Amino acid sequence: MDERLLMNKLREILLAEDREELQHLKKTLDDPQLLSQKISPILEERLQFFKENFPVEFRLAVEDIIDKKLESSREELLEIIYPALGQMIKKYIQHQFQLLKESIEEQIRNTFQVGIIGRIRYALFGVKPQKMAEDILQKLDGPVVEEIFIIEHHSGILLGSASRQETMDLDMVAGMLTAIKAFVEDAFRRGSEKLESVQYGTFSIHLENFSSYYIAAAISGSVSAKERSELSDSLAKFAESELRINLKKRDGSSHYEIKRRLEKYFFKTSTSLPAGKLKTETL
Amino acid sequence: MISKKIVLTGCFGVGKTSLFNRFLYQKFSEKYLSTIGVKVDKKVVEIDGRKISLLIWDVAGEVAQEKVPQSYYLGASAVIYVFDLTRPSTYLNMQSDLDYLGKMLKSVTLKVVGNKVDLVTAEQIGMVEAELPHPADCLTSAKTGENVETLFLSIGKELLG
Ligand SMILES: Nc1nc2c(ncn2[C@@H]2O[C@H](COP(=O)(O)OP(=O)(O)OP(=O)(O)O)[C@@H](O)[C@H]2O)c(=O)[nH]1
Ligand SMILES: [Mg+2]
Repeated sequence: MDERLLMNKLREILLAEDREELQHLKKTLDDPQLLSQKISPILEERLQFFKENFPVEFRLAVEDIIDKKLESSREELLEIIYPALGQMIKKYIQHQFQLLKESIEEQIRNTFQVGIIGRIRYALFGVKPQKMAEDILQKLDGPVVEEIFIIEHHSGILLGSASRQETMDLDMVAGMLTAIKAFVEDAFRRGSEKLESVQYGTFSIHLENFSSYYIAAAISGSVSAKERSELSDSLAKFAESELRINLKKRDGSSHYEIKRRLEKYFFKTSTSLPAGKLKTETL
Repeated sequence: MISKKIVLTGCFGVGKTSLFNRFLYQKFSEKYLSTIGVKVDKKVVEIDGRKISLLIWDVAGEVAQEKVPQSYYLGASAVIYVFDLTRPSTYLNMQSDLDYLGKMLKSVTLKVVGNKVDLVTAEQIGMVEAELPHPADCLTSAKTGENVETLFLSIGKELLG
């Protein structure tokens, strides 16, 4: 036998077992299914380990990344959060303020109406306690009538208006307000109930209905229930005393006269609602 | 100056908002943004030396007029009933719609307007007119502006009396 053949034979004998094993390994490697059977448990285990230990092993790294990211985009972040936060805070404060005011008003009613202190002060200083308390409250946060519209029902035609600062086209505002009113009253049919106010942010529009028209008063600042009813009263009084004559002709000829009277009636003091309310004469 | 309320109504997509925008802002867009609720704006026009303020309500389209909130119509001096010359379904309910409007609003100026006249030929117009339950007062195109100004001015003139 030739030397080479002999060598091969010898190799076969010696390496047969290894060969078989190799064959098996090769097969396992080539067959995805077999391979996955082998590897899956190992991967599974690693993954499990990862899951359990991720916070421990990587927390610092992740925290570091977040810290850096937050630091570098602080401005952006503030930009996003700030307006929403500001509005929220403002609204919250306003609301709290309104509650506070209502509770103070309540207390004043209870304390000063028949209170001995009130009588003494009145005797000493000649100041009606309720008036005094009223003044203090007004200075704190008086709601301000910013704009007043007198609007014909249904058609939304503006019959008269006054405004602290002219902003939008008033006819359009009156029309749109009437449309919104119609929409709400139609969409949430509640018998003959009418839309009484529209609120957005710290601004509110109060609607007072009369037979052929309604009055919309746009107010900034918080309005307590008591102020709301005072506003109602003064609007009714204004309608009675000023509008009956001036609204006879609906051709726009009395716009100027109504504006003048509205301004005189509602804007003459820097603080809001017309004077001459709180007529409870207890002393 | 007197003010009058005018309501634009009709099926959705017939071009009410387009007529509104054309008349008020001299603008037209191919984009269709369906109106939600209602939009109100005004324009002062001068007719024969007399001024009138037109308060125009652009109402969201409905297939039938009964579906439009009644309060949108109340107090209106004029109603423009718009249909689309290219879509028969928009003038299918015309008769019952006009009856309904006439009953609700006694002495109102009512105009029936066929819009999108730029999209149809004279021959097609003839065919549509033969089918109409009520003749159109005017054919307009919000796109080219054809007859839009005329429509509103003629209404203004009638309202001035
Ligand atoms: N070619 C042409 N297209 C028009 C004309 N008028 C309106 N359109 C198109 O028709 C589509 C609908 O127009 P709108 O004005 O939004 O219709 P609408 O009646 O207000 O619809 P709703 O608000 O859903 O009731 C838009 O894509 C407009 O560009 C016109 O005169 N000619
Ligand atoms: Mg529209």
